[in-house]
Amino acid sequence: MIEKLLERGGDLSTRADVCVIGSGAGGAVAAAVLAAGGRDVVVLEQGEHWTSRDFTQREDEMLPRLFEEAGMRQTVDGGITILQGRSVGGSTVHNLCYAFRTPPAILRMWREEHALPELTDAALAESFERVETNLRVKPIREDEVNTLNRLLRSGAQKLGYSGFVTQHNRENCVKAGYCLLGCSYDAKQSMLVTYVPRASEAGARVFANARAERIEAPPSGARRVHGHIVDHAGRTRGSIVVEARSVVLAAGAVASPDLLLRSGLGGPEVGRHLHLHPSVMVAGYWPEPIHAYRGIPQSYYIDEFIDLERDPHTGYVLMPISGFPVLAAVNVPGFGREHFREMRDFSKLGGLLVLLHDRSEGSVRSGRSLGKPEIRYALDAGDRAQLSLGLRHCAEVLFAAGAKRVVVPFLSQPLVLERGADLAAIAQREVREGTLPIASTHPQSTCRMGGDPTTSVVNAFGELHGTRGVFVADMSVFPTSLGAPPQITTAALADRTAHHILAGGSERTG
Amino acid sequence: MYRRQNRMSNHRSAASLRALFAPATTRRGFLRLAGTTAAFTALSQVRVMPAAAAGVANAGASGRFFDDAETEILTQLMQRITDTGLPDAPRVRDTRAVATVDAVCLGLDPAVSGVLPLALRLFEWGPLLFDLRFARFSELPDAEQDASLRSWMTSRLALRRMAFLGVRNLCFMGWYSQPEVWPLIGYQGPLLRRAAAATTPT
Repeated sequence: MIEKLLERGGDLSTRADVCVIGSGAGGAVAAAVLAAGGRDVVVLEQGEHWTSRDFTQREDEMLPRLFEEAGMRQTVDGGITILQGRSVGGSTVHNLCYAFRTPPAILRMWREEHALPELTDAALAESFERVETNLRVKPIREDEVNTLNRLLRSGAQKLGYSGFVTQHNRENCVKAGYCLLGCSYDAKQSMLVTYVPRASEAGARVFANARAERIEAPPSGARRVHGHIVDHAGRTRGSIVVEARSVVLAAGAVASPDLLLRSGLGGPEVGRHLHLHPSVMVAGYWPEPIHAYRGIPQSYYIDEFIDLERDPHTGYVLMPISGFPVLAAVNVPGFGREHFREMRDFSKLGGLLVLLHDRSEGSVRSGRSLGKPEIRYALDAGDRAQLSLGLRHCAEVLFAAGAKRVVVPFLSQPLVLERGADLAAIAQREVREGTLPIASTHPQSTCRMGGDPTTSVVNAFGELHGTRGVFVADMSVFPTSLGAPPQITTAALADRTAHHILAGGSERTG
Repeated sequence: MYRRQNRMSNHRSAASLRALFAPATTRRGFLRLAGTTAAFTALSQVRVMPAAAAGVANAGASGRFFDDAETEILTQLMQRITDTGLPDAPRVRDTRAVATVDAVCLGLDPAVSGVLPLALRLFEWGPLLFDLRFARFSELPDAEQDASLRSWMTSRLALRRMAFLGVRNLCFMGWYSQPEVWPLIGYQGPLLRRAAAATTPT
């Protein structure tokens, strides 16, 4: 059952074995596994329940529907835009379907540096296999590689840079290219069409428009989740109380720590150590239209500049990126005729994104409103240098791929480079938040996992240190930046947490 | 309950703020306006404007987010921000671009959208407040409107630059969502038949 509480009206007061908060890559998996295991599960999702029938391929309609703050969520200083999902299915509804397992070097680093000896490749293997099967993960076929990705692959190959065509979670893809605005064809195997229906079929009660606001976790007795029924603008329409033996918090790396802080749970590390995988798009303009927005947006992946075996803490990857008119326009600096000169060539535009495996750490704190948590983040000197180098490599690959003009989007004055230009000019510009349109689609690590309760929030199974029966199962548990697309890692860790609960681990009997 | 009381208690201050930034501001009003700019700056650091949020809460009842004066300011800002220089390009007024922005703002959490009406008023009075020009933005010729916007974009005050980016991006959201704009940039538009039907201008 998936119920829109706004349509039902009234309040919600109910009991369950497990209350899952959030329905994205972590929450949906946890709910489906627990429900299939015989638990009575309630899922609270603050966003709406949109389906493929609602996905119109229009930015003005889909950005407000699918993204927190209509895609305009920012850090407190406005330096970084954070794109997070806000609907049943969470960020998997708008993601671009890269499907990577946790890099072995990252798992090793988590084991060795964060006192998590349990997180072995073998311990996670079953979870990875289950998740990949259910999400129908498979290699992207050659005929599915679109024009932009083919061009960038040829550029990388000319330069001798390492890269590969990745795996994805799509089935019978029609190559329309609107993945970012929700798949109108149900080809994307997001949580919306996989784990959420599985959870529902197994008996879970999934409630949309249900915002959890506080968790009550007394030393003995049941846990209670308090919240409100909310409309899309966050206006309250009724109250929610769910009494449960366990709570699985999977609201994402911004809302999850906010909720723990409002509940006084999790200790002093909650909300700290925020990593963002900050990214910047460099624009290339080809001589002829390439219509980069058609076809699978991301299939090629350049990993030349990240060597996790040598250093698991740093590096960056380059990823093709295209957008629709609004998303392209906000990435082009300036306004008026100068801005339009770039937009006029929209059909010839293709982007390459540098995505940092960041060491810098920020924080999430509760704001004065539930709709507006305070997110702080500043790149440290090492990450600024990496980002600058990454911009240069983006320009290099774009030119090698045939772009005749490359624009590095410095906000004060865009750096326009013609073919043959000296790319050293990029290093002369200041790179930090506020000088470039930096975006993040992967906030993580704000309730990080670790063996030491003084430096982490949850244990190796995602359970809060010192508070039994309250688990976290989203990207906020990553001990560090992942350095790779996070969808499969998030789902696999949630699968592991859910199986731990089913095995009786720490479940309260209250 | 608390939330409702909070909104009600902020209603008066929302009204006084709107009056303060009304177009017919007198010299005394302008001095008050200038005097409160510093306070606005401090408030904006807080990121949430409860007073303006109360105004936003009321806006929903009328079915529109911005009032008439704010809509006019937004229209003029959008015209300059999206200026193409093409003689045959549609004018902002002839599209649903401003209505699109209004609809988007109406659907936002007041904690997010609450500051926007005030921000528009500040853009309108920007020439007076920041450039010492005794004119409102909407009274300036095109070139001087562009100069005013450039002073926001390149301001040494991070807050002004941030406000500019926010308003600029909203304008792009409205403008580049319009089907009649897409041919100007070579965008072929959505593939769905239902999307095409829904976007046919009436």
